[in-house]
Amino acid sequence: MSILFDSVRLFTAGAFFPGQKVLIEKGKVAAVGSKVLKTADVNIDGKGKFLMPALIDAHTHLGLFETGQLTPGSDMAEMFQPITPHLRPLDGIKMRDQALDDARRAGVAVCMVCPAPTNPIAGQCSILKTNGNSADVGLIVEQAGILVCFGEEPKHTYHRQKKAPSTRMGIAALIRETLMKAQDYAEAKASKKGIRDRNIQFEALIPMLEGRVPMRAHAHRLEDIMSAIRIAEEFKLKLILEHATEAHLIAPMLAQKGIPVVLGPALVPHLRFELRAKTFESAVILMNAGVEVALTCDFPGLPIESLRIVAAMACQYGLDEKRAVNAITENPAKILGVHNRCGQIKKGYDADLALFSGHPLDMRSKLEMIVVDGELFQF
Amino acid sequence: MKVIINKGTIFFQGKFQQLGRMVLDKGKILEITLASAKVKKAKSDHKDKSEANAQVIDADGKFVLPGMIDAHTHLGLEEEGVGWTDADLNESFGLVTPHVRAFDAVKMRDRAFQDALAGGITTAMVTPGSANPIGGQCCILKMTGNVVEEAVVKESSGMKFAFGENPKKVYGDQKQFPCTRMGTAAVIREWLMKAQDYSKKKKSKDFKEREIKLEALLPLLEGKIQARAHAHMADDIITAYRIAQEFNLDLVIDHCTEGHLIAKELGRWKAKAVVGPTFSSRCKPELRHKTFDTVRLLLDEGCQVAITTDHPVIPIEGLSLCAALCVRHGLEEERAIKAVTEYPAAILGLDKKLGKLEVGFDADVVVWNGHPLDVRSTVDVALIDGKKVL
Repeated sequence: MSILFDSVRLFTAGAFFPGQKVLIEKGKVAAVGSKVLKTADVNIDGKGKFLMPALIDAHTHLGLFETGQLTPGSDMAEMFQPITPHLRPLDGIKMRDQALDDARRAGVAVCMVCPAPTNPIAGQCSILKTNGNSADVGLIVEQAGILVCFGEEPKHTYHRQKKAPSTRMGIAALIRETLMKAQDYAEAKASKKGIRDRNIQFEALIPMLEGRVPMRAHAHRLEDIMSAIRIAEEFKLKLILEHATEAHLIAPMLAQKGIPVVLGPALVPHLRFELRAKTFESAVILMNAGVEVALTCDFPGLPIESLRIVAAMACQYGLDEKRAVNAITENPAKILGVHNRCGQIKKGYDADLALFSGHPLDMRSKLEMIVVDGELFQF
Repeated sequence: MKVIINKGTIFFQGKFQQLGRMVLDKGKILEITLASAKVKKAKSDHKDKSEANAQVIDADGKFVLPGMIDAHTHLGLEEEGVGWTDADLNESFGLVTPHVRAFDAVKMRDRAFQDALAGGITTAMVTPGSANPIGGQCCILKMTGNVVEEAVVKESSGMKFAFGENPKKVYGDQKQFPCTRMGTAAVIREWLMKAQDYSKKKKSKDFKEREIKLEALLPLLEGKIQARAHAHMADDIITAYRIAQEFNLDLVIDHCTEGHLIAKELGRWKAKAVVGPTFSSRCKPELRHKTFDTVRLLLDEGCQVAITTDHPVIPIEGLSLCAALCVRHGLEEERAIKAVTEYPAAILGLDKKLGKLEVGFDADVVVWNGHPLDVRSTVDVALIDGKKVL
């Protein structure tokens, strides 16, 4: 099915330009501009409306937590065993959960889904589109990194159970121990002799140790961020910081090391001690320093609808429209490594678009339509 | 930028003397001139240009000391006034945890670092707690920095061991081995033995699988880091010494509460002891012989002795107070000051750069408005690596 958006205000090259057309064919963007002459099966008159790339949230637990069912519907946290790199979101996502519909209604087409941060090594991260009937179809990148967690969450989880690790020292030690073992395992596997008895945990860590996927480090406090950087450097891992509540305190260092940040969720109270320095200013401080920043609502930390709101809140604290929109479209696409197909409206890109009744950073504007992989949803 | 400190009373070469001036440059002490020294009158037009912009501190009537050193603290591990979220002192469900490092848990925004500066302390050793027979790696930090990397003197300086009541209580309460002193010593020996064998095995060709706990013990066996033994009772101290002899370890006794009961033996062994926290109550049996005489008696026998607060047991600010209390119990003033500057530096192996005011040493200098062992005195200026931090 081909779709033509006609006479829209289109977000392109950093601003909204009126009188634009976008043609979608076979799930991809086929043409963009004011002079698209082709017609389509569905013509949408977008006069006065705002069309932008569909939103991307680079850190969620979408589909793992089932609406209204904390247990048994929650498949977020395997919380009685601290090292679980072999967990895969694919095996826990419920595609027909209300959250997926909510995501589409919020204009979100792409999400990174990861396990909850209860474990020092929590599991695999996957990148999911919000259409589709099963996760097998919806997952566009199954292995997009390993979630490694620092700070209060893992500490609390195991301290409560009177088990190790119950301190920050113990968390760092356990992560190092596991990575060291996995390194030796990988070496033995690559040797002539090879390996007979495979270890599923180490197998899951090999792509990260080889630098093919990043370590995605859940860290709020400065000290925990530094521990993540220290360990990433020791094991030569690619690093992405998740949440990074206090990252703005070391913005120049992160810029210099080229470490991207998935920032948020900022629209929560200072509930925990490690959130004490949380501020909406973080985004603008980090971006001014030259750090790649994506904003997240960490669903279900915040409802998925709040992704637009956190971007608008960052504008209150000095972020401009262009960078605010990029922080929920192009930047997360880059951080997730899918920027050659998602995050922008360009010829050949995935047809992921969101049509709003007004400016998307104005909370009064309503999402009227979303296209995910060429599939149109109207609300 | 250079810093010049003029006049005042300086603690220099082991005694109080009148300072002419001291110049700090590039983080080090560049020059110390006593008031008594004959100085060639510098012609005013020859005045060093680099001193024109120097920061000048007038210490007239004040006391200039090296920054104090506390060789045994838990600074930043259990951030004050916060609670469980920041309690990172003891990995107490692990028993043997040589691979945990204090360095990974120190929070530089702990209020205690400010208190340390206000108390004239510029360097401290930070160690994991004493719940585990083998507790983890200690680090040495200066008292300023946004992140711990900026404060570091040594990332891993020693391996913490614990003898006596603490480990046996922690694991006894969990109904686990070890719940006796015999068990504690056995666990420690077992792991040091394993590490020795591991070290040999590692040299062989087909060695493949590293074991992080044993890896962490290798620098200890190679003498690159110290064994830091938490021991209060005389018998525990001797057990620590026995094990250190068996495995050829560079031993420092921490706490050493009953050290004075075996002062002769410790003197013969040229023992290194970090004594304290003496200004606390005798809250457990192994503290029953605690006294402020210990420092003096051990020094008299030829031991290397430093005084510690064991922060947060005694707040870090109390280090000079602890030294003063030793003076009250008969220790000479000079040796009391050395026991919080020069001696801890020597025990930590940093006597070439810290603990004294000498040319070429780190410019960690504290200006007190009165005698440092007078509890009424306060710190006017504290400099770390030549930078004013208070």
